[in-house]
Amino acid sequence: MKVPGTFWLGKRLAVVALLGVLLVSGWVLGPRIIQLSEGADPFAEAGRFFGAALSPSLADENPSLPQDARPFLLRLGESLLRTFRYALIAISLAVPSGLVLGFLASSAWWPGGMRYGKAPVGRTIMRGMLRLLRWGCRFLITLGRSIHELVWALFFLSALGDAPIAACSALALPFAGTLGKVFSELIDEQSQGSRSTLMATGASPVQAFLSALLPSALPEMLTYTVYRFECALRSSAVLGFIGVETIGLGIRQSYESLYYGEVWTQLYALVIVVVGVDTLGARLRDRLNRGATRKAVPELSKLESGRSEARLRRTAPRDWIVRGGLLAGMMLVLISWTNGRELGINMAAEQRDARIGRFLTKLTPAPARPENSTASGSERIEALEGKGKAVKDWAVDLWSRNGAEALLNTVAIASSAIVLAAMGAALLLPAGSRALARGEPFGVLGAASRWVHWWWSGVGFLTRSLFILARAVPEYVYAFLLVGLLGPSAWPLVFALALHNLGILGRLWGEVMENQRPEVPRHWIQSGAGRVQSYCGSLAPLSFNRFLLFFFYRWETCIREATILGMLGISSLGYYVSIAHNWLRYDEMLFYVLLGVAVVFAGDVLSDWMRRKLRGEIASS
Amino acid sequence: MMETVFELSQARKSFGAVHALSSIDLQIARGERVALIGASGSGKTTLLRLFGAQLAPDRGEVRVLGCNPLVLGERKLRELRSRLGYLPQDLGLVPNLRVLQNVVAGRCGRRSILGSLRDLILPAVGVRRRIYELLERVGIAEKMYDRADTLSGGQQQRVAVARALFQEPAVILADEPVSAVDPARARDVLELLTRLSEEEGLTLLVSMHQLDLAREFFPRLVGLKHGNVHFDGKPSELGSEGLSALFDLGDKAVVL
Repeated sequence: MKVPGTFWLGKRLAVVALLGVLLVSGWVLGPRIIQLSEGADPFAEAGRFFGAALSPSLADENPSLPQDARPFLLRLGESLLRTFRYALIAISLAVPSGLVLGFLASSAWWPGGMRYGKAPVGRTIMRGMLRLLRWGCRFLITLGRSIHELVWALFFLSALGDAPIAACSALALPFAGTLGKVFSELIDEQSQGSRSTLMATGASPVQAFLSALLPSALPEMLTYTVYRFECALRSSAVLGFIGVETIGLGIRQSYESLYYGEVWTQLYALVIVVVGVDTLGARLRDRLNRGATRKAVPELSKLESGRSEARLRRTAPRDWIVRGGLLAGMMLVLISWTNGRELGINMAAEQRDARIGRFLTKLTPAPARPENSTASGSERIEALEGKGKAVKDWAVDLWSRNGAEALLNTVAIASSAIVLAAMGAALLLPAGSRALARGEPFGVLGAASRWVHWWWSGVGFLTRSLFILARAVPEYVYAFLLVGLLGPSAWPLVFALALHNLGILGRLWGEVMENQRPEVPRHWIQSGAGRVQSYCGSLAPLSFNRFLLFFFYRWETCIREATILGMLGISSLGYYVSIAHNWLRYDEMLFYVLLGVAVVFAGDVLSDWMRRKLRGEIASS
Repeated sequence: MMETVFELSQARKSFGAVHALSSIDLQIARGERVALIGASGSGKTTLLRLFGAQLAPDRGEVRVLGCNPLVLGERKLRELRSRLGYLPQDLGLVPNLRVLQNVVAGRCGRRSILGSLRDLILPAVGVRRRIYELLERVGIAEKMYDRADTLSGGQQQRVAVARALFQEPAVILADEPVSAVDPARARDVLELLTRLSEEEGLTLLVSMHQLDLAREFFPRLVGLKHGNVHFDGKPSELGSEGLSALFDLGDKAVVL
């Protein structure tokens, strides 16, 4: 069997190139990993912190709390509920918008899907207009995605004040973009057979879309939504670090007061909830793939056909667990909208308008601001006129002062992190593989000793648990803790990103290997190769292109994530965003955010191009 | 004089540099049962798709149920297609939908968008009864509410047949319906199609490469070779020499 090559690169060349990327990024970031003040002992503090992992607190560690203060566990429960609530509200906003965006970004329902002869002029014009609409939607999707939810939250909280709906909308915007993108890709990737068959029997493209493409994409869309909800939980937790009352706020406060036991309790709680949702998603996918099957066919022979049909219908196989779960999910959404703290903005209309006006004024580049903050739209545009030169100088100044360096650092952080994560995942994969890490790899008879079986099952279970735990904690939380332990250099951010992505790549790559046909690696084992040999010689090269596919996808996400991690005090884009935000210089903040958008756009385009190449390569092999 | 259902005159079709069909003349009358035979790449699928009004010929004329699809507007073209039952090689079922929902999709061509949505989600009692009877006729009534991907290959084929019947078609075009099933199932499917064609007076056009089955079930064979009609006649008229020429077997003897 031929092992497919990588497009114009050989596999070895690809690996060397990635290691080169790591070296260059490492050189940009500099050699100092630990950057603590003179005399501080990083190991003692780290020892205290990790020592506390074994003794999480169940009560307040602060001895000077007043008698009637709410106890720690109660506060923890409340903040966890709020984290859950904001994530639910955000996802319930994001799914409908993602559906609309995804529909408009797909071309599967356009008229004239099955062309016959020459297309009439009207239809050509129509398709042209739809193409424009699709480009518009794709732009919206990419824009929403390329600004991190944390940055959206900074904007919304500055403009609207401390209202939960501001935090939820900030979460919902990038999530709607991502859902829209993935939904449209899922729809376009469905097998075209049923769609073209329906059109061959006279269905219109919209009908074929609704009756064939959408239903077959629906299970994957549903499980992806559950995965996005898991991400929303993590993001909702992270919003706590900028002051929204979710579990992140508690983690930050406890850490800054050096109550490490409390930190660990909250981390454990967050991990349990996230892993719970993760497991639920996996179960859901299983059940949807399998579908309900009929237990027994009812006795039909004595009935006339109408009644037989009714009886079949009554006893039709239905998955009550999935149905109940969906219903429960919707109930939870309803409850989150209606219960708890008022979502809306709690101030008078004039007050709110004045606040938004002030925000917009400060958002305008300083040299071009209108005189008074209550200026109307036309006055603002007037103020901008003739100031082009001044605005340009302002932007050039910002770019040469901090912008360029911040941009470089951001890309270097993301790149070194993803290469480190990939190296870790590549090393751990055979130990985490369900097919290899067992007594009988690929079902080929193994050693007789029971201990060997237990050893390998244990190794597999532990590695997979490591992947799950690594991805359950948001990268921002890792970065926050590591910056505390190692001091403010870029490396804690790199390690944080790498650790989280190790968990994600471990899962994605693991799934790639599981979907690989087992004949070749089994043949290796049968001919006497060891587990690692079979992995290096057959599984890894066979999966290489798909590995790269996910690698580029995660690289893109890492760049997006790296733009905000700087908020923890390291000179990357996020650092300047948060400084500008703290000084209420929203114009500068917008400038750095737009720089980030430019980077993410570029990364998006590059990774999209690479992935298309790779997909072509995979399809043709 | 029998009514002509399909007619090709001087029809050509090429895909890029590949000539799929070159200058074909062919007529098929109402109620005929015709097997299209020929090696892979001889143009069988292209011919079926021309008759199915899915592809337009580059040159020459095709007439389907008496009209030239090239002069029809979108609406009329869809109406024409809705009267052509079509069984593609991959069956084109939606795997995670029920048999009922797969069959009901057959009449999309005659429904509005909202109507077909209703059929999909909440089909009327009359529709359900009708589909139950159809499924009884193809022999899988008890599977009506099961997911299509839980059915065996032969059963899935019957779902596709029922979907084509639900179109109330004038003809059935089947692309290699017996290439992916075992010999016993192949016989079952052909028996089913022939029976339905006899009962309803349906014109049947089936492409296949199993000669023995083609000879057994079809009174007329059309042999295609390199995009030309190489043979057209009764099975008895096709001798072993004709066969080896059709399949390019050279001097090798063909055992009949």
